[in-house]
Formats: sequence, structure tokens, C-alpha cells
Amino acid sequence: MDLLERERELELLDGWLGEAAAGQGRFVLVGGEAGVGKTTLVNRFCGMARGRARVLVGACDALSTPRPLGPLLDIAVSAGGDLDQLVSENAPRDRIFRAALSELDAGPTPTLAVIEDAHWADGATLDLLRFLGRRIGSVPALLVITYRDTEVGPQHPLRIVLGDLATSGTCRRLLVPPLSEPTVRALAAGSPIDASELYRITGGNAFYVTEVLASGTMGIPPTVRDAVLTHVARLTPAGRAALETAGVIGSTVDPWLLAAAVGPDVDAVDECLTAGLLRADGAVLAFRHELARAAVLDAVSPVRASALHRTVLEALRARVTHQNDPARLAHHAEAAAHRAAVLEYAPVAATRAAGLGAHREAAAQYARALRFATDLPDEQRQPLLTAQRLECHLTGQMEDAIAAGEALLAIARRAGDHPAEAEHQAWLAWMLVAAGRNVEAERASRAALDILAGIPPGPRHAFAFSVQAGLRMLNRDSDDAIAWGERAIALAERFGDAEVRVRAINTVGSARLVAGDEERGRAALERSLDLAREAGLEADVAAALSNLGSALGEIYQFPLAERYLTEGIAYAAERDLDRWHWYMVAWLALTRLFQGRWTEAASLAGSVIRHPGATAISRIMALVALGRVRARRGDPEVAAVLDDALALAAPTQTLQRLAPVRAARAEAAWLVGDQNRAREEARAAYDLAHRHGLRWHVGELAYWLWQTRDLVAPSPDAGGPFASQIGGDWAAAAAQWRELGCPYEAARALADGDEAAVRQALVEFDRLGARPAAAAAARRLRELGARGVPRGPRPSTRANPASLTTREVEVLALVAAGNTNAEVAARLFLSGKTVEHHVSAVLAKLGARSRREAVRTALERGLLPQTGGVQTPT
Amino acid sequence: MPRYMVHRTFPDGLQIPVTEEGAAACLGVVGKNADVGVTWVHSYVSDDKQTTFCVYDGPDPEAIRRAAERTGLPVHQITKVSVLDPYFYR
Ligand SMILES: Nc1ncnc2c1ncn2[C@@H]1O[C@H](COP(=O)(O)OP(=O)(O)O)[C@@H](O)[C@H]1O
Ligand SMILES: [Mg+2]
Repeated sequence: MDLLERERELELLDGWLGEAAAGQGRFVLVGGEAGVGKTTLVNRFCGMARGRARVLVGACDALSTPRPLGPLLDIAVSAGGDLDQLVSENAPRDRIFRAALSELDAGPTPTLAVIEDAHWADGATLDLLRFLGRRIGSVPALLVITYRDTEVGPQHPLRIVLGDLATSGTCRRLLVPPLSEPTVRALAAGSPIDASELYRITGGNAFYVTEVLASGTMGIPPTVRDAVLTHVARLTPAGRAALETAGVIGSTVDPWLLAAAVGPDVDAVDECLTAGLLRADGAVLAFRHELARAAVLDAVSPVRASALHRTVLEALRARVTHQNDPARLAHHAEAAAHRAAVLEYAPVAATRAAGLGAHREAAAQYARALRFATDLPDEQRQPLLTAQRLECHLTGQMEDAIAAGEALLAIARRAGDHPAEAEHQAWLAWMLVAAGRNVEAERASRAALDILAGIPPGPRHAFAFSVQAGLRMLNRDSDDAIAWGERAIALAERFGDAEVRVRAINTVGSARLVAGDEERGRAALERSLDLAREAGLEADVAAALSNLGSALGEIYQFPLAERYLTEGIAYAAERDLDRWHWYMVAWLALTRLFQGRWTEAASLAGSVIRHPGATAISRIMALVALGRVRARRGDPEVAAVLDDALALAAPTQTLQRLAPVRAARAEAAWLVGDQNRAREEARAAYDLAHRHGLRWHVGELAYWLWQTRDLVAPSPDAGGPFASQIGGDWAAAAAQWRELGCPYEAARALADGDEAAVRQALVEFDRLGARPAAAAAARRLRELGARGVPRGPRPSTRANPASLTTREVEVLALVAAGNTNAEVAARLFLSGKTVEHHVSAVLAKLGARSRREAVRTALERGLLPQTGGVQTPT
Repeated sequence: MPRYMVHRTFPDGLQIPVTEEGAAACLGVVGKNADVGVTWVHSYVSDDKQTTFCVYDGPDPEAIRRAAERTGLPVHQITKVSVLDPYFYR
């Protein structure tokens, strides 16, 4: 077949393969609707690249619950070697992933790897794409990923992976457009069909166009499906039956399987091939396109479809090979409504999927098994439900996880098994809190503790106590959290439960830290960190680093927080532990905010907010950081950001989220002079903070109440510098803030002081670019009767001295030394044109009319180094 | 894309010579803006040349600041604006 009008796309792909060959790996996202011509384009490119590159191709399949790592299985077969070995022996997935990466790096020629139809990718394949995408930059490989952009909506799991990868410099996009009208005309030449009509109705969809032409009709079927069916209608009944069987088998069809299912009628299969509905693809047969298969299957009656699936299932089972994929068998078994087969294969498929980290597919396989398990005895449903609960929990499908948990609870009750009942309640509590259903979570956790109170201590006590400790910690009830946590630790040690132990120690440490017991809190978290490292519990390592960073941030220990956060961010990024990664980035943004590094704070926060996969809690903290930067700068769009933060924080009903959001909103209102709103915002969380007695949260909220004249007496609970300031000791407050490394807060304290202090504050606000606070300080100075306080913009927020770039200063210095543009160009290894650009930029910035004037102004304003061989122009 | 009004002040007056050097300076600004996804629409300059109000299109206030940093232009205040014209109600 001729490939029409894809020169541009092929050229682009070729360029990227060239870059990859030079060691700059790329991955390319090839998008386009079904049938537009993605596969055709990529196949052609593979053909062109063979000889210059090693070509590896894999495809995701269209099964409702796909095989985990399907495309990698295809690739492994053709690559052979290590990768194939690891895949066939079901090795742990990180070893498989690393083997896949080295396969791309195998040389000597670059590797061209294609993964087709990623919109159907299973969870493990998505993780693989993310893993490879993040690392391909330094590998001589081009990874081409095709997908139907029309089917990847905002909630699609692929969208999250693509959003993540698209921000990296190694990603390239290619959108395959429909064929143009002239091309459709060229294709239709010689056929009786009206080419303009054909173009109008098909919109240039390559498959649709070619299918209409191949079906040999006179009129144009109104949909792709009709076009396929018109084509199919020309087959004999036997041919049609063979085609339908092929459709039931799948996108690719093993000839022996088709023969086994269809019977001895070889002609029928030949007929489909001759008609162009099936094509031979190496050793297997395939539909010309998935759209054709879907249309054929759609037209088969449910009864016949079920019978065909049963035939295929029996044929597959009769020929036991090591390739028999349980996901595929489970798929046919369910479609055939073959209960025993579903219960045989679905759990096996689930275990395999879970082992590869395809948790979504594992959960779906368990759900499939459970649909056929309604009348099984409790003992047989219980392991399925337990596994389903875990897989749903891991994939954040909380409502399904909770439903499974409730079914397990009912089973334990029927059996009168109290310890099991308690365990299930504790699990429920943990899942309910993750789903934001805190009230029910409290009830479930209570129920677990009540049952366990009457039973001698066992491993279940350790688990339930650790859950209760976690709930108390998240709610910032520190004393209770510590008490329950320590009981959990003791029991976990006694019964040898390493995971519960690591987590309970983390909980106790976090509770101590946020309550201000810095020393013991840090020690416990460090211990949890070490234990998690020893036990290889990677998520728990990330959790410990994340809790260290965020809890230290909550008590304003920013230099320490920064240390753990930067370590944690690197650790989590290396292992794709995204949940922790984004939460720590959000906390680093807050840290930078308080350290007065606002530009960094805003860009870190922006990266979290723009990332579609960031969780609600990460988003809340990032929105707070961004809202505060904007408010302190006097920039617009503060309300939008802080409203989003509140909308996300409100349902959690926890101090940990509400206090920072309310404090940020109070600050923003205060900075625009809205005292009433500032007071309301601070009030909204103050009582809650007070009840928990957390000094820093109470401190800031009390501070806003005090600033808005709602609170006269200093609160005994208020934290360090806040208390000093409320107590009237602005000098001590400023000193404490400086000690903590918070320049803006220090200046804010000085702004409450005497004239000299306010002047100092003003300089600091100007340096930070804190326009509203600077304006308020200037106003205050005038009220104090100070002289020489300019109205209008503050001096240093005007032309900032660094407005000349380093390069421009360099050029100007050489100009000042009497060099001509050409001489400057020669000295700096620049072109004459570039130097001209620099000189004119300098003139514009300095408002100078000539080079001489520019030099004079620059010297007056101290923009040029006085030493270093620069002479005054003569 | 949102639109912003950027208020800048130049204590010594803004002078862009009506020469090739001046034109090149303006083009330099345009190029650097494009790098961060910001478009300079146009500006108003006060008669004393100490104040400019510049209309920009950009994704968010941070991008406006990034552009200002690159071009070395001062920022006094950024305001989000939308167009209201006198013939709107006709
Ligand atoms: N550039 C092209 N020129 C001519 N025919 C094409 C072209 N691209 C695709 N086709 C035809 O359209 C059919 C569907 O294209 P395909 O590449 O499988 O679509 P996609 O992979 O985008 O779903 C192909 O089988 C081929 O017959
Ligand atoms: Mg395709």
C-alpha cells in the first residue's frame, strides 16, 4: 500500500531518531483518532529505520482487563536475552523495568521502540512508560507511543502519565491529521464513488476512506461501522462465521486457534483474507483494524457471542501451553459465563497482575471473580475479598475498597470471629479516613478498639492501635497519638510485625514533632527511617522523610525541613513514589516562602498545581504557598488560588489543612486592608487550633486576631515570636524570626516598632518585593511624623540594580574601557550583531541616548565594577 | 489567556531612542517574553517618561515576573484586567 502525505511526520521522526542516535533519547507521543493512520505511519517509519536502528514493537490489547505489561511481553519475545528471561520467569517488576531500560541502551545502533495503543495500557505498562520516559534522555533510543487522543479524557490514567512526561525536555508530540481532500480524491480515483462526498462524510479518516473503497459499494455508508458491515455482507455465511470467531479471539489471531474453533473449513478463513478484512501479520492473523473487529463483534447476537467465547475457551484449555495467559482465559470465561473457569483463572490473573504492580487490573480481576462468587461459601469468598480490598486500596478506588471491607466485616460477624471483626473495622477506619469520611472512620476505629478490649493482646491489637494512633496524629491530638502509637510499637515488636512497627514509630515521631517536642520527635522519625531502609520498605522511607520535612516545617524549623525535603524529593523521584514526591515538593515551596525565596516558592508550587496526578493534600499545601507569595507581592489572582485551597481543605475537617489555609486567607485579606475578613478567617480555625494546643498554628491565628483587634491578651499557647509580638515585644519577635531564617516575618515584626525599626522594615520589604507591606510601613512612617518618606513606588522596587544582565554588564564594562562594538565582540567571542543587541538593551534600560551617557549613568549608579581594570572613558 | 496591566516606574525616565538601537531593544524584549509564554501587547508611557503601563497577555502573574526579570524591566504592580469599551452596550 502506498503511504500518502506523511512526509512531514516521517521527517520529524527521522530527526528525532538522529538525536537519539547522538545519545539524546526522546520519546514521542503520536496521537490521533482511531483509524487516522498512526499504525501505518509508525510501521513505515520502522521499515525506513531498520538497518540504522534496532526496532522493537509491542502493542496494548483491547481486552476490557488487559494483560499486565502486554506490550513489553511482545518486545521481550523479539529482543530475547535478559529481558525475555526475566519476563518469562515472572521476575520482580523493578528488575524487569531496569532490563527494559538496558534493552533500549543495548547498542551499537540506536533502538527504536514502539508501544502501540497506549490508551488501552494496563497499570504496569503505564508505570513502565513513566519509568522509561523519565530516564530516556541519556539513552540512545527513540520510544514511540501511539494513542487515541480522542479517547483520553482528563480522568484517563494515561493522561496523568502523559501530563507528567510532557513537562520533561525529552518529550515530543506528533498529531497525525486526517487525510486531505486531494489525497482522498487520489485514493478514490477510478472508483464510481463521489470523492467530495467521500471526503465530507469520512472527514478524511484513513481507515473509513479505505474501507468504503474496499467494500465496493456505490453509496457511502454513514458511519465507519456501516462501512465495515457493508464489506462483511459480501462474505459467504461460512466466511462471516469465521470472521466473527476471529473477532471473539482478539486483535491478533493464532491460526491454529481459529482453525480449532471454526472447524475444518480453511476456505472460510481464506475468504476473509482475500476480502482484505483479515491480513496475515507474520505468523498470526489480524484484523485490518480494531475498528473493524469492534464493528463485527457488535453485530453478533449476545447468545452467539457467548457460545463463540465458550468454543474459544475450550480450544485454549485443550491445548495447554506455557503461553496460556490467565487474563485472556478469564476474559473468555466471563464472556462465556463459565463460572468455574472464571473462578479458576481470574484469581490467577489477579495475582500475576498484582505481582507486576498492575493493581488496577488485579482489582478488576478480583471483581470479576467475585461477580461469579455470590453463592460461594464465606470461606471461599473471604480470600477474594481480602485481596480485592488491598488492590482497590492501593489504586485509590476507596469506595470499592470500603465495600469489600464491609463484606468482610459481615462474614466475620456471621462467623462470630471477634478478632477478625476488629481487624476489619480497623482496616475500614484507615480506608474511610483516606476517603475523607472522618466521622465514620472514628466510629470504625472505636468499634475495633472496643472489641479488642475484651481479648488477650495479639498481632491484631498492634494493627488496630497503629490505626487509632494514625487517626489521632492526623487530627493533631498528639498525646493520644503518642499513647496509642507506643502501645502499637510494643505489640508489633512482640509479635514481629515489621511494617506495623515502622509505621507506628513514624506516627509517634510525627505527633511529637508537630506538638513541638523536636528532639524526641526527630529521633523517632529517624528511627522509623532507618528501620524502613533496613527492611527495604521504600514507601515507608519516603513517608518518614516526608513527615520529617513537613512536621519540621509546621514548627518553623525550615533549615532542617529543607534538608529532609530535598533528600526525600530525590529519593521519591528516583523510585517514582509520586504521592510522597509531590507532597514534599509542596512543602519545599512553603519552606522557600518562609525563607523569603518567593520566586522559587512560586515555581515549586506551580509545578505541583499543574501536575494532574498530585493528590488533594499536596495541592492544598502548594496552593497555600502560591497564594501567600502572590498576596505578599501584591500580585493578582490570590483569591482564586486560596478559594481552591479552602474547597479542598474543608472536607478534611482537620486542623493540619484548615489552619494553614485559614491563616493564608487571613493574611491575604489583611494585606488588602480588609480587617473584617481577616478576622473572620482567623476566627474560623482559631478555636480548633486552640483545642489542640498546637503553638505555631495557634500563634499565627492569634497574631491575625491581634492585628485585627479581636484579641487583646496574648494567648498562652501562641508559639515563640508570635507570642512576643502579641505581647508587645516587637524587637524580641524580630530577633527570633531572624534566628529562624524568616526575613519577611522579621520585617513584619519591625514594622510594629519605632521609627528606626520601621525604616529598617521598609528596606527589607523593598528588598523582598513585598509591595503591600512596604506601602503600609511607609504609611506608618508618615504617621509617626518621619521625614523624607516618598509616596508612590518605593525606590528599590523601581529599577532594580540587577536589571542589567551579567552579560550586559560585561559588555558595558568593555565599552567603558573604550572598546568598539567589534572589539567587544572579539573579546567576548560574540557576533557583532549580538553585541549591538546588548548595547541597545543597555541604552534602553539606563535611559541613555549614547554609549557615553550609558557609561556615565552606570558609573553613577554603581552598576559597573569600579575595580577590575575598567577605566573611565576619556 | 489572562491579560495583565503592569505598572513600571523609571526614576530617571524611560528613554528608548528612535534609532535602530532602540528598535533592537524593543525586539529583544519581545523575544525574551516569548521564551516564557508572555506577549507584550502595548504600553502607555507618561509624559515625564517615569511611568509606564504595559498591557501583557500571559498565563499567570509569575510568568509576567519571569519575563520582567529576563528583560531587566522593573515591576511596581501587576493588575489583572479585562476589556471594557464605551460601545459595549450598543
Ligand atoms: N497515509 C495513508 N495513506 C493511505 N492510506 C492510509 C494512510 N494511513 C492509513 N491508511 C489506511 O488506513 C487504515 C487505518 O490506518 P491505521 O494506521 O491502522 O490507523 P490508526 O493506527 O491510526 O488507528 C490502514 O489500514 C490503511 O489502509
Ligand atoms: Mg493503530
